[in-house]
Amino acid sequence: MSAEYILEMNGITKEYGSNAVLKDVTLRIRPGEIHALLGENGAGKSTLMNVLFGMPVIHSTGGFKGEVLLNGERVRIMSPMDAMEKGIGMVHQEFMLIPGFSITDNIKLNREITKPWAVSKVLGKDLEFLNVQAMSRDARKALDDVGMGIDEFALVSGLPVGHMQFIEIAREIDKTGIKLLVFDEPTAVLTESEAAQLLSVMKNIAASGIAIIFITHRLDEVMEAADNITILRDGRLVSTLKKTETTAEQLAALMIGRGEESVIQVDKRKEAPSEKIAMSIRNLWVDMPGEVCRGINLDVHEGEILGIGGLAGQGKIGIPNGIMGLYDAVGDVELFGKKLPLNDTTSALQAGLAFVSEDRRGVGLLLDQSIEDNIVFSAMQVHRDFLKGPLHLKDTKKIRKTAEDMIQKLDIRCTSPAQATGTLSGGNQQKVCVARALMLNPKFLFVSEPTRGIDIGAKQLVLETLVRLGREQHMTIIMVSSELQELRSICDRIAIISEGKVAAILQPDDSDTAFGLAMSGAQLKGGETA
Amino acid sequence: MTQARKKKLTARIITAIVLYVLAAILILVSVFGFFLRGSDSIQNNLNTMRTHAVLHAASGGLVDSIASQARSDKLKELRARKDFRTLGLDEVNSTCDAAAAAARAEAEALYSNATVQNAAGLENAINAMEKAMSVYGGLREKERAVYSDLYVSLVENVPDWTDLLSAAQEDDAKLFSSLATWAEDLSVPANAHLQDGFVKLAHSMAEKEQAADDAELLQQLTASMVGAVSDWTELSELDDEALWEALNREVEGFSAAEAFKTDLLKKAKEYISAAEKGETIAVETKDEGAATVYDTVTDYSFFTASDALNAASEGVESAYQQLWGELNEIIPDLANLDKKMQKTIRTTLENTVWSGGIDYSSRYNAYAAQEGSEALSGSAAFLMQLSALARNILIAGIALCLLASLFMFWDTLTKRFGIPRTIITLFFIYLCLAAVLYDISVPMMLSNVMIRMGMYGILVLAMMPGIQCGIGLNMGMTIGCIAGLLGIVLSLQFNMTGWYGLLFSCVSGAILALPLGWAYSKLLNRMKGSEMTISTYVGFSFVALMCIGWMMLPFNNPKIIWLLSGHGLRVTHSLLGSYAHLLDEFLAFEVLGVTVPTGLLLFLLVCCLLMWLFSRSRTGIAMSAVGSNPRFAEASGISVNKMRTIGTVLSTMIAAVGIVIYSQAFGYAQLYTAPRQLGFIAASAILIGGATVRKAKVSHVIFGVFLFEGVLVLGQQIANAAVAGGGLSEVMRIMISNGIILYALTQTGGASRE
Repeated sequence: MSAEYILEMNGITKEYGSNAVLKDVTLRIRPGEIHALLGENGAGKSTLMNVLFGMPVIHSTGGFKGEVLLNGERVRIMSPMDAMEKGIGMVHQEFMLIPGFSITDNIKLNREITKPWAVSKVLGKDLEFLNVQAMSRDARKALDDVGMGIDEFALVSGLPVGHMQFIEIAREIDKTGIKLLVFDEPTAVLTESEAAQLLSVMKNIAASGIAIIFITHRLDEVMEAADNITILRDGRLVSTLKKTETTAEQLAALMIGRGEESVIQVDKRKEAPSEKIAMSIRNLWVDMPGEVCRGINLDVHEGEILGIGGLAGQGKIGIPNGIMGLYDAVGDVELFGKKLPLNDTTSALQAGLAFVSEDRRGVGLLLDQSIEDNIVFSAMQVHRDFLKGPLHLKDTKKIRKTAEDMIQKLDIRCTSPAQATGTLSGGNQQKVCVARALMLNPKFLFVSEPTRGIDIGAKQLVLETLVRLGREQHMTIIMVSSELQELRSICDRIAIISEGKVAAILQPDDSDTAFGLAMSGAQLKGGETA
Repeated sequence: MTQARKKKLTARIITAIVLYVLAAILILVSVFGFFLRGSDSIQNNLNTMRTHAVLHAASGGLVDSIASQARSDKLKELRARKDFRTLGLDEVNSTCDAAAAAARAEAEALYSNATVQNAAGLENAINAMEKAMSVYGGLREKERAVYSDLYVSLVENVPDWTDLLSAAQEDDAKLFSSLATWAEDLSVPANAHLQDGFVKLAHSMAEKEQAADDAELLQQLTASMVGAVSDWTELSELDDEALWEALNREVEGFSAAEAFKTDLLKKAKEYISAAEKGETIAVETKDEGAATVYDTVTDYSFFTASDALNAASEGVESAYQQLWGELNEIIPDLANLDKKMQKTIRTTLENTVWSGGIDYSSRYNAYAAQEGSEALSGSAAFLMQLSALARNILIAGIALCLLASLFMFWDTLTKRFGIPRTIITLFFIYLCLAAVLYDISVPMMLSNVMIRMGMYGILVLAMMPGIQCGIGLNMGMTIGCIAGLLGIVLSLQFNMTGWYGLLFSCVSGAILALPLGWAYSKLLNRMKGSEMTISTYVGFSFVALMCIGWMMLPFNNPKIIWLLSGHGLRVTHSLLGSYAHLLDEFLAFEVLGVTVPTGLLLFLLVCCLLMWLFSRSRTGIAMSAVGSNPRFAEASGISVNKMRTIGTVLSTMIAAVGIVIYSQAFGYAQLYTAPRQLGFIAASAILIGGATVRKAKVSHVIFGVFLFEGVLVLGQQIANAAVAGGGLSEVMRIMISNGIILYALTQTGGASRE
C-alpha cells in the first residue's frame, strides 16, 4: 500500500556543538507534488537536505534528532549512496558533470549498461563491454523527457550552462525507481526562457508521479510551479502553506519577518540627510568570484549610512571590493565629484576611502602580528604616519599610545596592545579591523559584513560605533550586510542587490514584504524600478 | 574529551616521575662510583689488577711464542715428509693448528698460574717502571713539541735552502746560526742538542730543492729540444757523441747542459725511436708547482734527544731490566725467548704499565684488557667496575633526566619553542654535558662554534628577507652565492689582497647579485604558491649552468686558471695569500683559551642590526605583511609583486656577501658544485632558530645559527669520541638539516588547512 506521504521528516533537530541550526522542523511531501522550500541564507535549508541525504558532515558531528520516513517506513540514511538507492535524487547547484565525456556517458556514469563476453565471464563483471546502443537509447529518452533535442553523443564541455542543468536532470530521471528529486536553486544560472522550460519539465516529472523538493528564493517561480510551500527561518519551521492559499507578498513577509527583534535601538536621525552626493556609482561591473556585480547604479549622500543588503551570491559584497580595487572592476565611480580610478587600491585609500573587509581573517588582519601593528599598518603605508627619525623607522612609542587609545575607545578586550590578533575573539578582531580603517581618517567608509560570526555584545558595540561615526563625525558609510535586521536598525536607506543589480532602494521602515520581494528579485519582472 | 586529556596528562606525568627517579638513581650510583675512586681499597685493588695484568702479559707472550714455535715445528716436520705435496692446504693447516693448540694448552697449564714468591718486589719494580716511564714520556712529549714548532717555522720561513747552505760554506756552526735567524728559539741554550739534527735537515732540504730545480731544468731542456728538432729520424744513425754534437748545434743552451748529458741523450733516443714508429712526440709535464711545495707535517727523523731525555730513557731501561728480572724469577722460561719475542713482550708490558695518562677509567681499561680484572672477584670486582663506569652512568643519568623533563614540560616547551627547537635545544644541552664528561676541550669547541657562527651567519641572514617577503625558504640563494664567488675570483684575477680585496669581493658580488636576483624574483612572481620547488630547482640548475660558466669565463690570471689547458677556473682557490681569516683575526683576542673572532662576529652583528633596522622601516613592515598575508597587504594598497622583488633581491645580495665572508673564514673559495648545499644549511639553521616559512626575525637567525653550528661542532667531537670512525657528523648534519626543513613544511601545510 502506498502511504499518504512519500517523505516525512518529523521533528528534525540538528546542533553543531551548542549552535542549533535546525529546531524541530517537519517536512512532508506527497507523491507527485512540487514542494517549494523557502528561506533566507542560513535558514537551514541546506542542513535539512544534508540530513535527508545522510551527508558525512551530519554523521560526523553527532547525527540529528528526529525521524525520516520514506513511504511510511522509518529509514536510516547513512550516506548519499544510500539515499540514491532508496530513490532520492538531487539536481545540484554546481554541476557534477565530467566535461570530457559525452552526454550519454555522463547520464549513465557508474550505471552503465554492459554486455558480457568471453573474458568477462572468467574475470568478472568489471571487464564487460558497454552496450552503447542501449545506453544511448536510455539517454535519448531521458533527454526527450526534459525537452532537449540535443545529440546524445555530444561532449559536455562547451555546452551552454543551461544545457548542463538539463543534463543533470536527465541523469536523475533516468535512474530507475526514483521517487523524490531535490532541485537546489536550479534556475540561478538559467536565462528566463530556460527557467520557464525548466519549470515545465519539473511539472512533467511531477505529473509522472515523482515528488520534487524545489529549493529557491525566486518567489515568482514558486508561485508558478509549486503545489505546497514550506518556509524556514532561523532553523525553525515558519509554516507550510498551499500555493492556492497564499500570495508572493505573504511569502516574502514570512521569509523576512522579524520586525519585533531589533538588534540595537538607535535614535532616528533628526535632520534630513544632506542632498549632496558623496559617491556616485554608474554601471559598475565587478568580477568577484561568487559575488559578481552586473551594472550597479547607486548614489550615496554625504553623511548618510547606506545599507546594502541581499542574499548571498547576488553581488552585494562585490561593490566595496570592486571599488577598493581588490577585484577587477569596470564602470564610473565619482567620489566627492572627483573621478576615482578603479583597480587601484592605493589611489582609493589616498582619496579618503577605507574598507573593513568581510573576510576578517583572510584580508582584514595579520593574525601573527600584534594589535598595535595591525591598527597602524594602513596609516603607516598610506599616509606615512607613525614613522620617525632620519631613517623613517617605526615610532614604537607613538604606536603604543595610539593603540592604547583605540583599545579603550573601541573596548577591545586584550591582555596588551602587543597581543597577537590571531588569539583574539572574533568580535575583538573585528574591532581591530575597524580601528585600522579609522586610523586612515577616512571621509568615506566601507564596512562589509561587520557582525558576521561575532557575539551579541560585540555586535552592538560595532554597530554603535558606526552610528557614532556617521552622526558625530559626519562620515559617509556604506554598510554591506546579510543581516537585514541590522541594516534596518542603523541605516538611513537600504539598497537591495539581486543578481548583480540594484533591485530596490528602500527605507528602513518599509514593510517586510517589500524587502522580501526585492531580495527574491520579484520586482525585476515589473521593470527596472530601482 | 577533557577526561581523556586528563588521563593522557597523568600518564605522561607518571612516566616523567618514573624517569626522574631512574635518573636520580643512576646519578647517585655514579656519584658513589666517583667517590669510590678516591678510596684506599680501590687503589689497592687497582694495583693488584696491574700486577696481575703485567704477569698475564708476560706469561701470555710466552705462551703465544711457544704456540707459534710448535706450529712452525709441526710445519717443518710435515714438509720433511715425502707425501707433503699430496696433502691438501686445509689438512696442513688443521694439523698445524692442532699442534699449536696442544702446545698452548700445555704452556698455559704451566705458566698462567705461576706462583709469585716475591710479590712486594714485583710490585716495586712495576711502580719504578711506571714512574720512569711517566718521567720519560712527559719529557719526550715536551721536547718533540719544541722540535715540531721549530721545524714548522723553519720549513715555512726559509726562502731558499740552497742559498742558506752555500752562504754557510760547509761550516755547520755558521749554518746553524743562520738557521736561527729564521727560528729564534733555535739559539736558546736548552735547544743546543737539536743543532745537529737541524743542520742535517738543512742539508736534506737543500738536496731536495736541488733535485727539484734539476728536474725542472731537465724538463725545460727537453721541451726546447723537442721544439728545436724538426725531424728526429735524421738523427737515428748517430752514436752518442755525434748525437750530442748534433743536438748542441740544433738546440740553444745545450752547451751549458753538460751535466744532464746522459738524461738528455736517453730522451733523444726515445724520441728518435718514437719518430721512426711514426708516433707523435710530446713533452710530459709534471704537476704544477709540486716540486716547490714542502709538507708542513713535522718530520721527526732529524729529532735528537737532549741529555735529560737520554738519562730518562736510561732510567726506563734500568727499571725495565729490574722488572724483567723479577718476572724471570717467577717464570724462568722467559729467559729462553728469542730477541724478537722479548721485544714484543716488552711493548705489551710498557703499554700495560703506563697507559699514557693518569685518568682512572683509562687505567682500569688498560689493565682489564690484559685480564687484570680476573685478579679480583665478588664485590671487589663489582665495585671496581662500578667506579670505572661512573662517568658513563652519569651521562646516562643526565640524558634520562633531560628525557624526563621533556615528558614533564612537553606542552609548555612545545607551545613556546615548537617541537624541533625543544628537542634540538635539549640535545644541545646534552652534548655540552657529554663534552665536559668526555674531556673534550671546551675552549677550543667554543672558539670553533664562534668561527662557524660568523661563517654561516650571513648566509642564514639571507634567508630572512626571503621568508619575510613571502617566497618562503629561498633555496635559490645559491644564485647570490655564485655572484659572491664571482666577486671573489674577480678580486683574485686582479691580485687584490687584504681589506681592499675583501671589500671589493663583497661589493662586486652584491652588485652582480642585483640583476640576477631581480630576474629570479620575476620568475618567482609568476609562480606564486610553488616557490619552494621553483627556488630549489633554480638554485640547482644555476649551479649547473655556472659549472659551464666557470670554464668559459675569460679569466686569465695563471693563479686561478687551469695551467694545462690555459683557460677555465680551478675548483678550489686558496685565499691564504689574499684575505683568508682577515675578519676572523681582526681584533681577535683570547679569553680563558677561547679565541674570539671579534671581526667576524662584529660583521655579523652589524649585518643583523641593518636587517633589524630595515624590518622596522615602512618598506620592511610592508614586506613582512606581504609575506604573512598577501591579501591583507593588497587591501592596504601595497604592491605584492614589488615587495616580493625587493625581498628576493635583498636575499640574493646578502647571500653574495655571505659567501665572501664564508670563504674568507674557510680560507678557500670553492666553485662549481660546492655552493649547492648551502641553501639547505641556511634554511634549517633559521628554522631551528624558531622561524617558520612565513615569519622570521633577526633573533631567529642568531639563535638558529648558534644552535645549529653548536650541535654540529659538539656532535662531531662527541661522535668521534664515542664512536670510532668519522662520517657520523656529516650524517648528522644531513639528518638535522633536512629533517628540520621537512618539519617546517608539514607545519605550514597544517596551518593552511585551518
